[in-house]
Amino acid sequence: MNIKKQRTSRYIIGFIGVFLLIAGIFIHVSVGSSSISITDVIRALFHPDNSKQTTIIQTLRLPRAVLAALIGASLAVAGALMQAITRNSLASPQVFGVNAGASLAIVVATILFPELHSKTTVYFAFLGSALGGITVYLFAAGGKVTHIKLALAGMAVHLFLSSFTQGVIVLNEDATDVLYWLVGSINGKNWSHVLVLLPWSVFGLLAAFIMGRSISILVLGENMATGLGEKVQWIRLVAGVIVIILAGSSVAVAGPIGFIGLMIPHIARKLVGGDYQRILPFSALLGGILLVYADILSRFIAYPFESPVGIVTALIGAPFFLYLARKGRKIKQ
Amino acid sequence: MNVKKHPYSILSVLLLILVMMAFISLGVGAVYTSPVEVFTNLIGKSQSNHFILFNYRIPRMLLAVIVGASLAVSGAILQGILKNPLASPDVIGVTKGSGLFAVAVLIIFPGASMVALPFSAFLGAAVIAIALMLFSYTQGTKTHSLALIGVALGAICQAGIQYFMIKFPDNVNTTLLWLTGSLWGRGWNEMWFLIPCLVLIPLIIIFTSKLDILNLGDEMAVGLGERIKYVRYTLLSISVILTGASVAVVGSIGFIGLISPHVGRRLVGSRSKFLLPVSALIGALFLLLADTVGRGIVPPIEIPAGIVTAIIGAPYFLYLLRREQKNK
Repeated sequence: MNIKKQRTSRYIIGFIGVFLLIAGIFIHVSVGSSSISITDVIRALFHPDNSKQTTIIQTLRLPRAVLAALIGASLAVAGALMQAITRNSLASPQVFGVNAGASLAIVVATILFPELHSKTTVYFAFLGSALGGITVYLFAAGGKVTHIKLALAGMAVHLFLSSFTQGVIVLNEDATDVLYWLVGSINGKNWSHVLVLLPWSVFGLLAAFIMGRSISILVLGENMATGLGEKVQWIRLVAGVIVIILAGSSVAVAGPIGFIGLMIPHIARKLVGGDYQRILPFSALLGGILLVYADILSRFIAYPFESPVGIVTALIGAPFFLYLARKGRKIKQ
Repeated sequence: MNVKKHPYSILSVLLLILVMMAFISLGVGAVYTSPVEVFTNLIGKSQSNHFILFNYRIPRMLLAVIVGASLAVSGAILQGILKNPLASPDVIGVTKGSGLFAVAVLIIFPGASMVALPFSAFLGAAVIAIALMLFSYTQGTKTHSLALIGVALGAICQAGIQYFMIKFPDNVNTTLLWLTGSLWGRGWNEMWFLIPCLVLIPLIIIFTSKLDILNLGDEMAVGLGERIKYVRYTLLSISVILTGASVAVVGSIGFIGLISPHVGRRLVGSRSKFLLPVSALIGALFLLLADTVGRGIVPPIEIPAGIVTAIIGAPYFLYLLRREQKNK
């Protein structure tokens, strides 16, 4: 009976989540420098006409909301995968230097080849995130490394990569644009950005969901997984590639938005238990919700100016990190 | 404990290299001066580059030496009390804290910067250090939580810095230059802020036995009659003062506090009596080298010293990570 109860509660959580996400997207679309009422939003979405509101919604607001949901989902799933393959609950694209690596690669690419389209910069982002991620992963692989060491190593790699980024910017005067991007922002994005991101994140998310079962077995321990007939190294490799695709493409489009990959998997684990077949989809859902609402908030921090959404996620996420750190020994398990 | 044989000879060799480096450093820049000319100027036999030397190059060289030494000693202390070879002021958020306060001042009061900047940087380091102690206090003296909490606080400060830079984009270039860390345009006026370093470094080198006792482990230290919490927080405070003063003068230069103690440990082993002075010399040499290279490589353009330390420091750090991994 208990199992049935759990299953019902998961369905309820799922429904609430989907509802929150849809509601969030509607609020997201309606809030902004010119406020549009929810009924107008619904009318513009389902009975589009030639009014100004429809144009605003279709060309500016809706792609941004979709991007927020996609990027939130990608980063959250990337974080969940990293925490699983390193068996380290502090792992996340940010702590691992994946975001910083992608940022450096993109800043260098945009300065060297200013004409590049964001379709191509994605590949630079993949390269950079692989560089940052592999460096820290080599250090953290196998789960023998404690959380503190991982956090410090990740921080050091992060500092190293970002001091290069800063250097590149200091030596190239027109810095402000890149700076805004470096905080992580989805302000001013349109459908072409969605098109750049969509294939990568859909592919990455689906691949991650399919791997859910293998990942769950991997978390049991290397020996156990081998005993159950899983190819451990192979799973690690594929999961790593998925992480780079998800995190790299997100950074390429929106800049390094931090802390989603760190926080969401913990919340998902609290809600639906330790099975990655459930954690991964729920992380995607929750990540989408978090970034959509964070992006709504980002417009009010310095109203009427927009702030990058990365600041909002950092303000929510850093205290969460503090909480994880204070839990101390508990997270060692 | 790893004890090497000739610590005194290593100390004197390092000192000699530092002096030679200082001479080279005095000559390098937009106006090149040969070491011989530098020497004749210094002893008063020649007046050719007197003004440049005494008003720009000498104070800058001294600042580099003192700041480098302070950061290195600060890192060595932190690695000792946190028992973690990867700890350093920049990694545990202290540098970010002073960065946040300094950026706030740079941007909100652009006129007052030259006087207020060092004070605010110092204040920021202190605030983060106090927050660090408060948050970790209830955990007893568990060192691992201290490091993690530092990383988290650093992340919060980073968000704050970014907020200020985005909100007030006009002063972004000054801010960025400061955040990378540079000795450009620093002179005798900044020397005042380093007085605490000049007092504390000799003091800490004299009282190194405490650090050694902490390294033996908590139980052993208690057994030897040490009040661990008290000793640890005193050492942490000293480390913060050294960092705060340094960052106040040169901005947030990275990797010196992280790497110098490692080089020191390889040369003379882990006894603080030798480790601290050797780390200090290596830190001084490191920053002086970084500043000289940054100034001399494409004059008159200066590459911020912080970038040079990252370029030199990062590969060495990666090597350390790998060795750490192999020791497992």
